[in-house]
Amino acid sequence: MIVFDKVWFSYGLHHVLKDVSFTISENERVAILGESGEGKTTILKLILGLIRPDAGKIIIDGEDISNKSEDELRKVRMKFSIVFQEGALFDSLNVKENVAFCLREYSKLSEDEIDHKVRELLRIVGVEHAIELMPDELSGGMHRRVAIARSLAACEPKMFLYDEATTGLDPVNADIICKLILDLSKNGRGLIIVTHKIFDAVKIAKRFIFLKDGIILFDGDKDDLLHSTIPEIQIYLNEVNFS
Amino acid sequence: MKIKERISELQDFYLLSTRGLLGAVRKPFYFKDMIEQMDYAGAGSFIIIILVSLFIGMALSLQLAAELSSLGLKMYTGKIVGISIIREIGPVAAALVFAGRVGSGMASELGSMILGHQIDSLRVFGVDPIKKLVTPRILSSIVMLPALTIIGDVVSLFGGYYIAVFVSHQSGTFYWSSIRDVLTFENVFAGAAKPFIFGYLIACISCYMGFSTKGGSKGLRTSTTRAVVVSIVMIIVSDFILTRILLYVLGFSV
Repeated sequence: MIVFDKVWFSYGLHHVLKDVSFTISENERVAILGESGEGKTTILKLILGLIRPDAGKIIIDGEDISNKSEDELRKVRMKFSIVFQEGALFDSLNVKENVAFCLREYSKLSEDEIDHKVRELLRIVGVEHAIELMPDELSGGMHRRVAIARSLAACEPKMFLYDEATTGLDPVNADIICKLILDLSKNGRGLIIVTHKIFDAVKIAKRFIFLKDGIILFDGDKDDLLHSTIPEIQIYLNEVNFS
Repeated sequence: MKIKERISELQDFYLLSTRGLLGAVRKPFYFKDMIEQMDYAGAGSFIIIILVSLFIGMALSLQLAAELSSLGLKMYTGKIVGISIIREIGPVAAALVFAGRVGSGMASELGSMILGHQIDSLRVFGVDPIKKLVTPRILSSIVMLPALTIIGDVVSLFGGYYIAVFVSHQSGTFYWSSIRDVLTFENVFAGAAKPFIFGYLIACISCYMGFSTKGGSKGLRTSTTRAVVVSIVMIIVSDFILTRILLYVLGFSV
């Protein structure tokens, strides 16, 4: 379970999150919505302990991670699997080496076993044919799918975190990624997707958190979101032609 | 606010430099990454070091021969070229080339990894970015810069020889015997100790600048430029300090 308790965070003098509080269970499918620069990605980074809050507590499975050391945070991070915006593949490694990275780092598998596992993961995400390609030779959709395969190789996560997983993709590829994200959560594992593409968010999530000017303006389900009378949300839905 | 930021930056730099070096004696060891960095830093800089050193040796020999000829002392060309190259110019020139080529490469590579969230990915996967990325770069610089300096010194001496013998018409045998006379332990040690320090400084500064990249491609440009500029300034400042210390320790009177 993830608990944000009165969390404040700022970049320099700009307050990105102001007294933000929410609780997310590990089997929930949550979309964090908002315009660019509203602190959506910041929330994911705070969950993983990649950055520390200025004030407030972030509690993961009962443990306050706000002041944990990097070594202690490693255990917390293993509970999650994250796909960063645009994949964040290691650009000096090919697809196979990217997916095999964590297997080589932590497992004692032989090279044959790693090869077998990598092919299996790439088959799950549908890009087995790209195994020898370098990241800069991949299309946007393939990039994200390889990133998902790599995150699956990392650990057995309790939750998946996706940062703008479908941004920049054409509708066909975005739909493929949405289906893949849903498939991976079928066994009850929760997810948090950060996006400004509400079309994709409603395909995946059941709960929606809307951020505006550093505060949570809305927290509810799809029907409540679409029928919200909050002016900022109506403007947002109109802007994305979703009302 | 500015002073507080500067102190905070210095503290971060100190931590990165210390942890980067301590990574060499703490598991896990990334030998493959270190070999890859040694290839990039050493073999990749080989030709440029040879070219720069050759022309520095020739220019120095030319200047000295011209000046010493007017005093009737041009037989000392070899001795002065030898001392200058081995003790001072060789290590500094190699370090400046190394900072320009390898330091900028380190800063831009790490900077683009920061901007592309690759460093965050490493941290999420439980890999310490300092051990994985900084330690191999520090070790490869500490090993390869001294090696390149020795090669550069030899090439510079040959450049000086060419000018002394074929332009200034001096005796080649006398030139090499003058060089042999200056190859004392004190002179060689004074020149050989510096590249280890320079290599460590360049790698730490460049990695720190790379890691502190923010603000897209403009930020990457700034951090790369800062890495080279700060490295160059620090090489020259530390060269003076090291020279002062080494002259004192080795018993030279000033």
